[in-house]
Amino acid sequence: MQAETELWSTALFNRFLAAPLDSFLDAVGHPAADPAHPWENWITMEILVVAIILVLFGVLRSRLSVENPGKLQLTFEAMYKFVMSQTDDAVEHGKKYAPFFGALFVFILFMNLIGVIPGFESPTMTVSVPLGLAVVVFLYYHWMGLREQGVGKYLAHFIGPMIALAPLMILIEIISHFARPLSLTVRLFANMFAGEKVTLTFLSLTFLVAPAVFMGLHLFVGFLQAYIFMLLAMIYVGGAVAHEH
Amino acid sequence: MKRKLMYAGGLALALASPIFAQTPAATTGGTDWKLPMAYLAMGIASGLCGLGQGKLAASACEASARNPGAQAGIRFALIFGLVLIESLALYTLVITYIAKG
Repeated sequence: MQAETELWSTALFNRFLAAPLDSFLDAVGHPAADPAHPWENWITMEILVVAIILVLFGVLRSRLSVENPGKLQLTFEAMYKFVMSQTDDAVEHGKKYAPFFGALFVFILFMNLIGVIPGFESPTMTVSVPLGLAVVVFLYYHWMGLREQGVGKYLAHFIGPMIALAPLMILIEIISHFARPLSLTVRLFANMFAGEKVTLTFLSLTFLVAPAVFMGLHLFVGFLQAYIFMLLAMIYVGGAVAHEH
Repeated sequence: MKRKLMYAGGLALALASPIFAQTPAATTGGTDWKLPMAYLAMGIASGLCGLGQGKLAASACEASARNPGAQAGIRFALIFGLVLIESLALYTLVITYIAKG
């Protein structure tokens, strides 16, 4: 894939904060390819998205009101109700996992949407970001399953219905469990990457109508992919903590 | 009759076994098939994905017409199924980009 051009935010980070990241990368054992420009587009955009979310929720928090809710509060109340209803559908006694899913949804949604603004780039367009999210979901649902059911009972899941089939079932279960973060990663990454590439292709061919239509599709797909990521995370957590009745 | 055909097919494949005796040819000057095959793979993936999604959309429309009260659940199942099938075609797109280098 061609070398990415540097965004304004990346140039800013590279100018002032190149040295701390260089020393961090050296300490971890992966020295940067170009010590003058260790920051990449996706990490600075991610930091920017986190800052935007924090500011937005700070403003929301300060304006919460029971008898006179503003538009911001109503929007986020709708989002909250949506996430809670989905959690109750997918996971039994799921209320304690809902903050994780809500954070996942909001984070991925904002990351997907910020790419539409000129001068910004979706962090989810780089493989590293969806991979990181998928690994977090993987570790989370296994951790929740282990915590909820205890180590022995959780590992007994992998054996399947009959002891006689155990070797085959264990192999199948392990492969399918590892296929989950892989499919989560590729789904999110490919959708965002393809959306942007298609929009740019049409923008290079014509202007105004066709690229706008594809950008609208990209927006819709961004919403949908954030929702699907959250939904699949819920299904995995639901499967991990489910008690056999 | 079907079993005889299966045996005949297996025999035909086994007759091709001398190919394993081939010494690996040096990769000189032949056409590079990586990119055309990647394009073909993408076409096949998109076509089959279109078939699958068409079947899904058709059964969603039919179910919705039979039971208009269940439209919410049907719409959810439709979107969910479409996204999962779409992701299969997109895996092939990723392979195309890897083949491009």
